[in-house]
Amino acid sequence: MLKYIFNRLLLSIVIVSVAQFLLFTMIYLIPGDPAAVALGPRATEAMRKTLEIKMGLDKPLIIQFWNFFTGAWTGDLGNEVLSDRPVFDVVLEQLPYTLALIACGMTWSIALGIPLGCYAAVRRGGMVDRLIGVLSVGLIAVPSFVVAIYAMLIFAVSLQWLPAIGAGEQGQLGDQLIHLILPSLAVGLGWIGYIGRMVRASMLEVLEASHIKTARAFGLPDRLITYRYALTIAILPTITLLGVGIGQMLSSAVFAEIVFARPGVGKLVYDAILTRNYPLVTGAVLVTTVLFVFINLLADIMIGVLDPRVRSRL
Amino acid sequence: MDNKTPFTFPRRSFLAAAGAFGAATVALPGMAISADKKVLTVRSYSDLQILDPAFWVSIPEGDIIRSIFAPLVVVEPGDEWTWKGVAVESIEQLDDLTVSFKLRDNIGFTDGYGQMTADDVKFSLERIADPAMESPFAGDWAALKEVEVKDKLSGIIHLKNKFVPLWTTTLPTSSSCILSRKAVTELGDKIATKPVAQSGQYLLADWQPKQKTILKRNPDWAYEKGGFEEIHIIPIEDPATAERGYEAGDLDYTWTSVSSIPRLKKNPPPNSVILEKPSLAYVWLGINQDVAPFDNINVRRAIQHAVDRKTVVDATYYGAASVANGIIAPGMPGNRSSVTYDYDPDKARDLLKKEGISSLNVTLDILNQSERLTAAQVIQANLAEVGINVEIKQNDSGTFWTLGSKDGDYWNKLQLVLSRFSMQPDPSWATVWFTPEQVGVWNWERFNNAEYKALHDQGLVESDTAKRDEIYKKMQGIMDESGCYVFLTHEVVGAIHNTDIQPGLKPNGESLLPEFKPA
Amino acid sequence: MSAVVYEMKKSLLKIMREPLGALGISLVILMIFSAIFADLIASADPSKISPRDRFLPPSFDHLMGTDQLGRDLFARILHGGRIALAVALFTTAVSLIIGTVLGLLAGYGPRWLDNVLLLLFDTVKSFPTVMLALALVTLFGPSLTSVIIVVVLVNVPGYARIIRTQTLTLKSAEFVTAAQSMGASTMRILRVHMLPNTIGPLLILVSMDIPVVIAIEAGMSFLGLGVRPPTPSWGAILNDGFTAIRDTPWIAVAGGLPIILTTLGFTFLGETLRDIFDPRMKRR
Repeated sequence: MLKYIFNRLLLSIVIVSVAQFLLFTMIYLIPGDPAAVALGPRATEAMRKTLEIKMGLDKPLIIQFWNFFTGAWTGDLGNEVLSDRPVFDVVLEQLPYTLALIACGMTWSIALGIPLGCYAAVRRGGMVDRLIGVLSVGLIAVPSFVVAIYAMLIFAVSLQWLPAIGAGEQGQLGDQLIHLILPSLAVGLGWIGYIGRMVRASMLEVLEASHIKTARAFGLPDRLITYRYALTIAILPTITLLGVGIGQMLSSAVFAEIVFARPGVGKLVYDAILTRNYPLVTGAVLVTTVLFVFINLLADIMIGVLDPRVRSRL
Repeated sequence: MDNKTPFTFPRRSFLAAAGAFGAATVALPGMAISADKKVLTVRSYSDLQILDPAFWVSIPEGDIIRSIFAPLVVVEPGDEWTWKGVAVESIEQLDDLTVSFKLRDNIGFTDGYGQMTADDVKFSLERIADPAMESPFAGDWAALKEVEVKDKLSGIIHLKNKFVPLWTTTLPTSSSCILSRKAVTELGDKIATKPVAQSGQYLLADWQPKQKTILKRNPDWAYEKGGFEEIHIIPIEDPATAERGYEAGDLDYTWTSVSSIPRLKKNPPPNSVILEKPSLAYVWLGINQDVAPFDNINVRRAIQHAVDRKTVVDATYYGAASVANGIIAPGMPGNRSSVTYDYDPDKARDLLKKEGISSLNVTLDILNQSERLTAAQVIQANLAEVGINVEIKQNDSGTFWTLGSKDGDYWNKLQLVLSRFSMQPDPSWATVWFTPEQVGVWNWERFNNAEYKALHDQGLVESDTAKRDEIYKKMQGIMDESGCYVFLTHEVVGAIHNTDIQPGLKPNGESLLPEFKPA
Repeated sequence: MSAVVYEMKKSLLKIMREPLGALGISLVILMIFSAIFADLIASADPSKISPRDRFLPPSFDHLMGTDQLGRDLFARILHGGRIALAVALFTTAVSLIIGTVLGLLAGYGPRWLDNVLLLLFDTVKSFPTVMLALALVTLFGPSLTSVIIVVVLVNVPGYARIIRTQTLTLKSAEFVTAAQSMGASTMRILRVHMLPNTIGPLLILVSMDIPVVIAIEAGMSFLGLGVRPPTPSWGAILNDGFTAIRDTPWIAVAGGLPIILTTLGFTFLGETLRDIFDPRMKRR
């Protein structure tokens, strides 16, 4: 078991390192003075000089990468160009908003996806099952930013049931939650489909299993069987999905933040691109990638812990 | 405080002619201000970069500068161009070349720099005028000979020659903001984002880049206090986003985009007032005459003939603004009723053919804002019809306002640019930006004409309105001939605010932050 | 080769029998048809600016209304289909080629190369897609080319893996050794043995990837980081509609509708293909 965790951890670290390497080399592929490229056209001469010394452009590439690499792991992602504040701090300030958005999106997916999948499995083959099937595929197919815009159009502009912009008053939880409803729906909608299908498929598998049949033979009520026994096992594969899901939701969150004018890492990167604040862009991309990789890692570990089938194989 | 205008300067109310329709509320001077602790949240269209009265870049910075560094006098809110004293207790023009002033007592500088004295006035005004400083606003004090210090609080401003715009575009602006000689000399550099020795009605309390600027009432300011305890300035570049922010309740006051005015007037958001103010600004398409292919005057003329100005303005502003024929708005001497080129795509095509050009690829730089994008797309379509392919490049405000600067590396690549300059109520404040000295500063078209410069200098000392009218009309005619300019519009200023504040605005809609009061 | 064609004909019939498949294929054909014949179907010029006619709601003259510059939205949507189609085809082709090469290298090449390539694929997949797109757009500047580079980068690992799997299987298969000993050339082996087995998974991946490709291009253009104005990409139209959403919502509807229909069409098609080719995953 520990070996499994260790292997996955190692792999994650290697992936992050490769990601850092890719981001690092991109700067050198672009023609021009690397410090100027890294900082973008908005940097002052002083900033460039500082970065050149820090990058050690006269030293061999390996040393430069090593500095960048170790710097990143200690949280030093450089300073952003407009106000000379550390990129790491700026990203960390905005990250909680995005995480809240993703968490709520996940909540929608789980809250709607599991019951749908369950229902479809229990009513297998019927009209409802097929309908839910089509719906699931449809939800997966449609790009989330289109959903975000249409949701805003229908619920905020036409019906005026929900607010269209912003994250709500700071410090007022209720207001913030109301502002979260539409954006998180946009973020989580696609995954309702994925989770629904996954739950349905694994439910079907489980329902065929022998211990379920035995329980039925014993006359235990259907509902008990479905929810207590079958569902608890069927849910496990969805945890793997969550890891991938969060990464995708991150992409959807970027659009949701821009469409609904919410603060967050997505909006941060977008604004940074528009203002050519390059260190902020690369820093934020790195932070979110690391986040994604480690959430995947956690998901894998949790599967290892929870799923007896996987555990027995370790 | 006496706000008589000096005897040689006939009173004019330009804006009565233009009409300030829809203006709802106006703050009355001298009103008792309640010590309300409310916070005012306003939007500015760009974030601050340079808070130095000699080097500021955009109007929002000017607003802040005038709030934190006491100016000698300031424009009064309302529909007429009048002024009142801020740093001065009294100021008077004794004759064409002499202005005497007396500072108010007890104006202190922060950071331990003591009291404001007449010597600081000497330092601040001469600093802007000093050619070695290379201030873009040197023109405001071009007529300054020297400031004579009489005693601690009073002095005399000596001019080299008559200077007609002194009371409209020099004194009531940031160019009369007083800095501490000691502080600025110690700093050794221009003030960027950390102001030293503040003295105004407000102090810069905090600056979160791209997010928020916070001004707090200066506790040491002994005279009229600002209306609000705290002012939060949120930089939002795109007016459409600002309007959404206002509707979301995040802002108390913002300029709107011109094209939204008809829509907002028809369906105003709840508890809001829509203001529409005549604008003195001017929007134009500039052509850089030092970059190929535009170093050829016929190519420039072709562009002048190819752009359908009426369609550009209609499409962009939905009828809320009209076509301009120059840089000088109605109500001021020099306002023109036509330009010397007409919309004639055939003529444009002929000119290009004559130069042997069958197709061209050019770039058009604009500010990253929806109205500019609309205008740019119409221009793009117009030019496509005569065989010119336009690539539209959108820039955020930080990048845009340095495009033509000689300190950067783009001034010799800039081809077409769609720009808008704000304005003060004197025609010379428009023409000054296109003089030869401004090449590489604000004159991005690199238009360099000696006759133009001579006329500009003449206009500064000519006090007869009719003669000034002729001078400024002639100058714009020269601009037409150069082929570097296609004049588009003066726009209109639209603003929206909620009913529990009273904005303090100049007649052209620009904000006077300390004059905002709770309703 | 005729065997492949026969297989495809058979599959097509199977697709049409599934309601979802029929719907999917119809939508796809509709999209391709309307993109190719855009000029004939919509007589209006998608770039013609006419400020007098701005913001007109849908009517007989303008089936989907006009936008803020008076351009006919129906024409713009159809021409936008050309962009979507072109991007989809081009990037798929490029991704396939690069993916095949990399997959063959991974399968046939030395072990260390295989591991390195796999690691690279995993790394690319570990970037959240939009973040990767934003980072690349920052470096290369906003343009359609940058978007295409992003899309190719994101898709290559998928194709490469399929080819790699097949290559590995072939490398160790006995019948291959037998065939080789009989004098069969590598080309023939590839054609006869590998091709039929890879077409299925590749086709599924293609029809599942195309909606993603279209979504990424539309998304980037929506953010203003993709196509340059006045190109009528669906994402750009959606962006125009978004700023005017309060009073003139049909622009946003016009921009989003073709995106939804196209992505649905390809996804339904892909799902059906998967059911046909991969009986294990069949809906029970």
